[in-house]
Amino acid sequence: MAAKVHVLGVGMVPFQKPGKSDDYPEMSRKAMEAALADAGVSFTEVEQAYVGYVYGDSTCGQRAVYEMGRTGVPIFNVNNNCSTGSTALMLARQAVAGGMAECVLALGFEKMERGALGSTWDDRANPLEWHAGSMNELQGFTTAPPAAQMFGGAGREYRWKHGTRRETFAKISSKARAHAAKNPYALFRQELSVEEVLASPEVFDPLTRYQCCPPTCGAAAAIVCSEAFAQKHGRENAVWIAAQAMTTDPPAEGQARSMMEVVGVGMTKRAAAQVYEAAGLGPEDVDVVELHDCFTANELLSYEGLGLCAEGEAERFIWDGDNTYGGRVVTNPSGGLLSKGHPLGATGLAQCAELVWQLRGSAEARQVEGARVALQHNLGLGGACVVTMYRA
Amino acid sequence: MSELRFDERVVVVTGAGNGLGRSHALLFAARGARVVVNDLGGDIHGAGSGRAADVVVDAIRERGGEAVASYDSVTEGAKIVETAMDAFGRVDVVVNNAGILRDASFHKMSDTDFEAILDVHVRGAYAVTRAAWPHMRDARYGRVLFTASAAGIYGNFGQANYALAKLGLHGMAQTLAIEGRKRGIQVNTIAPIAASRMTEAVFPEALFEALDPAYVSPLVAWLAHERCEVSGELFEVGGGHFARLRWERSTGKTFRLGRAITPDDVEASWGAIANMEATEHPADVAASLRPIIANLDRGTSRGGNAFIDVDEALGYEFPEQTSSYDEHDLALYALGVGAARDAEGELDLVFEMSKDGFKALPSYGVLPAVGVLLELGKQGVSAPGLNYGLDRILHGETKLTLTRPLPRKATLTHKARIKDIFDKGKGALVVQEIRSYDEDGDLLLINEVTTYVRGAGGWGGERGPSTERNPIPERAPDAVIEEPTAANQALLYRLSGDWNPLHADPDFARALRFERPILHGLCTFGFATRQVLGALAPEGDPRFLESIEVRFAESVYPGETLVTEAWKEGRRILFRTKVKERDAGVLSNAALTLFETLPEKRAPKVPAEVEEAPAAPAGPRAADFFRGIGLYVERHTEETRRIDEVFQFRLLSPDSVWTVDCKEGRVAPGETAKPSCTLEMDDAHFVAMAQGSADPTKLYFAGDLRITGNVMASQKLSALLSRVDARFVEEARARGGETRAASPVVEAAETEGPANAAPAFAPGLFAGLRLPGGGTARIQVRVTDPDGAWLVDLGSGSIQGGTYEGADTTLTLDDTSLKALADGSSDAAALFQRGKLRVDGDFAPARDLSWLAGTEGR
Repeated sequence: MAAKVHVLGVGMVPFQKPGKSDDYPEMSRKAMEAALADAGVSFTEVEQAYVGYVYGDSTCGQRAVYEMGRTGVPIFNVNNNCSTGSTALMLARQAVAGGMAECVLALGFEKMERGALGSTWDDRANPLEWHAGSMNELQGFTTAPPAAQMFGGAGREYRWKHGTRRETFAKISSKARAHAAKNPYALFRQELSVEEVLASPEVFDPLTRYQCCPPTCGAAAAIVCSEAFAQKHGRENAVWIAAQAMTTDPPAEGQARSMMEVVGVGMTKRAAAQVYEAAGLGPEDVDVVELHDCFTANELLSYEGLGLCAEGEAERFIWDGDNTYGGRVVTNPSGGLLSKGHPLGATGLAQCAELVWQLRGSAEARQVEGARVALQHNLGLGGACVVTMYRA
Repeated sequence: MSELRFDERVVVVTGAGNGLGRSHALLFAARGARVVVNDLGGDIHGAGSGRAADVVVDAIRERGGEAVASYDSVTEGAKIVETAMDAFGRVDVVVNNAGILRDASFHKMSDTDFEAILDVHVRGAYAVTRAAWPHMRDARYGRVLFTASAAGIYGNFGQANYALAKLGLHGMAQTLAIEGRKRGIQVNTIAPIAASRMTEAVFPEALFEALDPAYVSPLVAWLAHERCEVSGELFEVGGGHFARLRWERSTGKTFRLGRAITPDDVEASWGAIANMEATEHPADVAASLRPIIANLDRGTSRGGNAFIDVDEALGYEFPEQTSSYDEHDLALYALGVGAARDAEGELDLVFEMSKDGFKALPSYGVLPAVGVLLELGKQGVSAPGLNYGLDRILHGETKLTLTRPLPRKATLTHKARIKDIFDKGKGALVVQEIRSYDEDGDLLLINEVTTYVRGAGGWGGERGPSTERNPIPERAPDAVIEEPTAANQALLYRLSGDWNPLHADPDFARALRFERPILHGLCTFGFATRQVLGALAPEGDPRFLESIEVRFAESVYPGETLVTEAWKEGRRILFRTKVKERDAGVLSNAALTLFETLPEKRAPKVPAEVEEAPAAPAGPRAADFFRGIGLYVERHTEETRRIDEVFQFRLLSPDSVWTVDCKEGRVAPGETAKPSCTLEMDDAHFVAMAQGSADPTKLYFAGDLRITGNVMASQKLSALLSRVDARFVEEARARGGETRAASPVVEAAETEGPANAAPAFAPGLFAGLRLPGGGTARIQVRVTDPDGAWLVDLGSGSIQGGTYEGADTTLTLDDTSLKALADGSSDAAALFQRGKLRVDGDFAPARDLSWLAGTEGR
């Protein structure tokens, strides 16, 4: 059994549209300053830093952390697509859990361009070529953004399997906006009705524009430490990580048959199962969840992947309001990727920040009453899925 | 789960005195089977002694089971089966397990070693199974198992005889599985690995222990059980591991038939033949033959050789590309081809604020094509089947066609394909066609670039059109234009995008055996186009160019003087260009055509592909749309009233007058007293606008739409038209004269017959469909291409044309997809996954579309 690891402090900057944000060192500095202040730790106590980002030249991590000073400690640059932030968090936790360090910084940032995600390098193998190949076999290619085709295609597969109305997907966006309205860090804080979501331009059936997360700029950070370190700082009751797991893609054969597998439903299931097993708690014990709603379809799939509802029950779960305040479990109180925004490198750490606030009871207008157990789900195509359970 | 039992079943296990066979026999007996324990009592080399079978029978009986012993050799299989029939009266399961070893390397193998193995394994298994077969057929039930070995599947040193026998058994098993299928007989093969007397000497002690035969028998029992439906399969089993084996075949390489396939072809394609990255798993002879059948369907080869494979290359479509240009690019290009040399004439080609109006030099239209080809080259995209280097090609000819004058700026999408390949004997001609479409998807340019490939001809293919085109008339030219090129002409021209160092780098040029950098052929082409148009187009306006083609005959050195002679023959101008200093022809077989009048980009544009197609059936006319609007207004009174305007339409060619009164909810032919605004336009423009293919604002600014009265009111018209989608129009047309008379709001002014409907599958389908009983859903089916709408009520069994409120589910799909669904060539899940079938409302009814199959004639 690995040693207990606490999240002593978290911080983030309000997320912005591309072109409106500070440059990444500035955003990062604000997030780090907030996290250190929150933890009550000075930067000189940080022994290692894991820094996640997807778009940028090598060693942007150093450039960002140097904003706080050059203490000569190890700094690792992390790149794992949309799950980059939680990958940095996982490495930080491993360093502490394995006894290699007492106090570690996990930082994530992203400065994105306008428009849908695409590939930057065209002179080498595309890491998603097998995923794209499977997709092409199953449903062909269109001119829609590739990620929307993949997650939208998974949504189609789910609809066919379980008979799901288009409105059900739209309801997720509407819920995300309602949550985000109360989050000062969120990018889109204006509420949207289901009708407005459905009336927005179609991107890839069943996904409309308002069911796709926007390109976003932002940064978030967490200070991760050992039990002894927390005690030394008088913070033995700080939020701690009860369990954490990362999974990658299963054998290609399964993915070749199913769009849901292509977008990582299987990764989610396996990571969640490992976390529940290690924590000795089940989905029924979870009070609040930040999950990877890059598209509404993926939020729906993740309900079942994480075991929040039974297979085929997601539609009922949504219409019964079991995914929001007053229901079974609050999903994405922050507004999620859909409304808070999705700066790839920062997302995993922003999810962490939200859940730490929720477990401390300091989430203000969006506080989930009596939250004791929180679950985080961060997924990257290509693939990596990180699931983390936090406890108060 | 209940235990798998074999009560009443009679099982024959050969070689059951020891090892695997003994383990099988004990397991079957323990599960209630009556077992014939056959064992010759021999040692592992086949010599007989002892009564091993008796020991096993005793063990079974001690545990309360039923068994009899058989001491016959498997080569006398009939006797063993006879024992079973005598004792129990039937045979349900035969497990061919008996075996011996005579290992020897092939070099040392004796005929006796070989024969003994074949006798026991092959002839023995044959004899027992053959004897049991008629009983199984009569009983319409049987389970047969053969015992193979990894040695047979993969090969093993010293076991050539044994390997032959073992894989041979699987071959027999697969065939028996096919022959037994209809008689309830299932036949499978196992390749066990177990510790037995036979393998005692082979495995190390630790492994030997792990390989208890008891780990194999459960698979045998399952395959022999009545609940198991597996047949013709091969399994590996042992040491706790159970797995199925099957054949895997590479996608392979298929050569077109009708031309010689050489050993060199095989070597060259070895990667594709042997590569196992893309594979399939044929499970029967039909699947095995499938690639060959598919190859027959493809027809015979159109020829080719090592340089050009016509089958692969011809018709290949390159990935789409986009590019854009603006006045800056046009002006730079014009300078590059010698325009405005004296800084006075031709200012309209280089100065975007010229008082004569800036004009694009149309020969610029070749550059996007060049850009596409260069970009594809840079990306390493080449057409399959074209296997020659740049060293072999010469830019032979180019042809440019414009649908209208080049706009001042544009973003173009280019679709390139290999249009033609001709065999010219020594060389070959490859024609690439690049079609460029503007932002609205309208065709703007067609480029045909013909390259001559040296030494690549001679496969006896099509020779193509005659090479002597555009002969020069035998009279004095109508215009002769002489112009020097500048010493730095190529340096200037290359800035427009052709970066080949041959035109700039003296060393590079010398390496290719030119005395110095040469002028781009397309630069000369630009000079000539400008010269001819300046001299012979109406008022020298270059925008009149419709098409131009030239052949490149010889290179030009910058600084030389170009002389172009041109002959005008109606809209066609023939010309040639030569270098004055050397009297060398540089452009030959050249001609251009002029537009009669300058075409403009028109809203209802004919798509490029339709150009060669026969005339399409008559589409809906304005009257149909007004009737469709009438239907909409009738059914959506609330929404209509909110528009709160009265529109008067005056249409031309053919002329008609219509009133759309949103206040009163009335659509009718004729005038109205107080229109909010009056719209005047061509019938065709109205149809385009109503179909959404023309934008009212653009029509207005183009002068194709006149609005009088309250112009702002017309803004609300778009909102109305966008709601009246094609299904209303289709329905209005489908209802024909009957509706015109019956409807209170639509009064027909015309008496013509119903318009021709486009040939479609849906109307026939829905007319002939007989719905099965039992459903409840009301399903609105919306068909597109051509459009139509039907309400299918599974509860009442009725089908009605048109769109209705209150359907549970709306299915939207195109006519082709509907046909594929109805005839079973596509399934709904696949269409849905591909976005060809859209489902709104309740989803459940979409998942059972079996009622679509209930057509009784169309």
